[in-house]
Amino acid sequence: MSIDVSGVTKRFGDFVALDDVTVSLPTGQLTALLGPSGGGKSTLLRIIAGLDGADTGTVTIEGREATNLPARKRNVGFVFQHYAVFKHMTVAKNVAFGLEIRNRPKQEIQRRVEELLELVHLSQFRDRMPSQLSGGQRQRMALARALAVEPTVLLLDEPFGALDAKVRKELRDWLRRLHDEVHTTTIFVTHDQEEALEVADEIVVINDGRVEQIGSPDELYDKPANDFVMRFLGETTDLAGQTVRPHDIEVAMQPGGLGATAGTVTRILRVGFEVRVTVTTEAGDDVLVSMTRTLARSLGVEEGAKVWLTAAKGATTVPVMAAV
Amino acid sequence: MASSQSTMVGAGNPVLKWLLRLLVVGYLFLLVAWPSGYIVRRTFEDGTQSFLDALSDPDVTHALKLSVTVALVAVLINLVFGVGMSLLLVRFEFPGKRVLSALIDLPMAISPIVVGLALILVYNGRYGWFGPTLEDAGLQVVFAKPGMIMATAFVALPLVIREVVPVLEDMGDEQEQAANSLGANAWQTFWRITLPGIKWAVVYGVVLSLARSLGEFGAVKVVAGNVSGETTTAPVLVQQKYQNFEQGTAYAVAFVLVAVAVVALIVVALLRPSEHKTARARVGAGKEPS
Repeated sequence: MSIDVSGVTKRFGDFVALDDVTVSLPTGQLTALLGPSGGGKSTLLRIIAGLDGADTGTVTIEGREATNLPARKRNVGFVFQHYAVFKHMTVAKNVAFGLEIRNRPKQEIQRRVEELLELVHLSQFRDRMPSQLSGGQRQRMALARALAVEPTVLLLDEPFGALDAKVRKELRDWLRRLHDEVHTTTIFVTHDQEEALEVADEIVVINDGRVEQIGSPDELYDKPANDFVMRFLGETTDLAGQTVRPHDIEVAMQPGGLGATAGTVTRILRVGFEVRVTVTTEAGDDVLVSMTRTLARSLGVEEGAKVWLTAAKGATTVPVMAAV
Repeated sequence: MASSQSTMVGAGNPVLKWLLRLLVVGYLFLLVAWPSGYIVRRTFEDGTQSFLDALSDPDVTHALKLSVTVALVAVLINLVFGVGMSLLLVRFEFPGKRVLSALIDLPMAISPIVVGLALILVYNGRYGWFGPTLEDAGLQVVFAKPGMIMATAFVALPLVIREVVPVLEDMGDEQEQAANSLGANAWQTFWRITLPGIKWAVVYGVVLSLARSLGEFGAVKVVAGNVSGETTTAPVLVQQKYQNFEQGTAYAVAFVLVAVAVVALIVVALLRPSEHKTARARVGAGKEPS
């Protein structure tokens, strides 16, 4: 295991940002820390980097005890949401910074900077100032700068959070390909489940200062540990005390299915090929069902129709947590 | 932009606009330009020769040299402590931070004469708090250069700090954290990242405190006493010469002080647009969507 975080607690005044978190992150993989804002994922990343200190607990990086090591001795690359570019230095100088601090020979620095600028497709911008770059370019420069020192781990704090949707998507794909090339153990923080599911090998879901679940994207999607994880990973609805995905609900126009919930269609919304049907059960709860347009037509689903709902066979369901 | 312009006072009303301009220019002229201009006129009333004669007076050269020495040392001290205290105020959290921040403005608020008196009370060789001890150790503070430097440094202290603090706040600490994670220690981070980031604010603060230090009169006069002209700085000399009916000399020294201040302001004005431009470029670039 590359990074071992054990029993880490962090408080900011009365606010508990991390509550006794223990997690092991594998070497060479791309791991996402996923969770809602304020859930503690950025704090965990900063504690791994040494930019914040934990109140209790230990951090081990590649077998090396790092709990009391200052950030500059941990050999981690850190990429900030708002890039943290060195404004008064050219792109090449930014990338060279870590190597110059390490007093590497000039030629080596130059060669390595060229290599990295090539890698992040910024070679033609080497003599520009950061203010002349777009946000996406700045973030790629920040990534090259972090990679320059050949870090043991690369930590990215919401790296694409400040970018617009299109650039975000491009950079996300690019990060995945980059990781396949360089294989540096990489951890990135995101609150975007789609980003995590698409890019990561492994996802750690963090909420309220606690780890909710650790697993591959498939494991998380197919076997969510609780209804929080399930709700966070995509659209869900509640049916007969179970949390289930709207596209996993089967609709029958006649009674008969075992344990089927009876209800009335109260609203139909068509979005392209998809139809979203709201069914109000006899108990008065609204259940959201989604199906293809074709299926809806063949069943004859329309507003006011009486329907019976069951979770599809093999569907992922999780018991609804009792409301406190 | 258009909406903010239309809400400006006097926008779209040329009469009001010119009236306001006239008011400001007239005010500045009567209060600043005319009196200062009069100094220049008086200085060169009898041609440049009398001006040069006045400047070759040993009293004058001594006073000017003393003023420059005191000002330079005071500015150097304020540079080091000013940048240090700015870092302390912006980058660290500690109890009493607000009190310290308020204390830094104190020299602006209290009369320089009071500053001088306070320093005498503490460092006076006969009954001051530290004075006798320091005097036994061979260091005379009051009625000597150290006291004058202290008084000057005290008065000009806020100028560097008030310039640097907002720039440091604006800059944030992410660049420093990034440098840290790349292996830079505190010293390397300061020299390579923090200082270049606040460079212009520091220069601006230094120029302002230099001008202020050269012109300081009240605090220095009290602390310097009058040791047979030994501790007479240029502004004090202006007053003495004027009262001794050597107005020619007084005007000449006054002119030198005005000239230095004007040059300092020109330097600042030249620095400012460049700083303004980069700041604007930064804001503009930050707004780009991608």
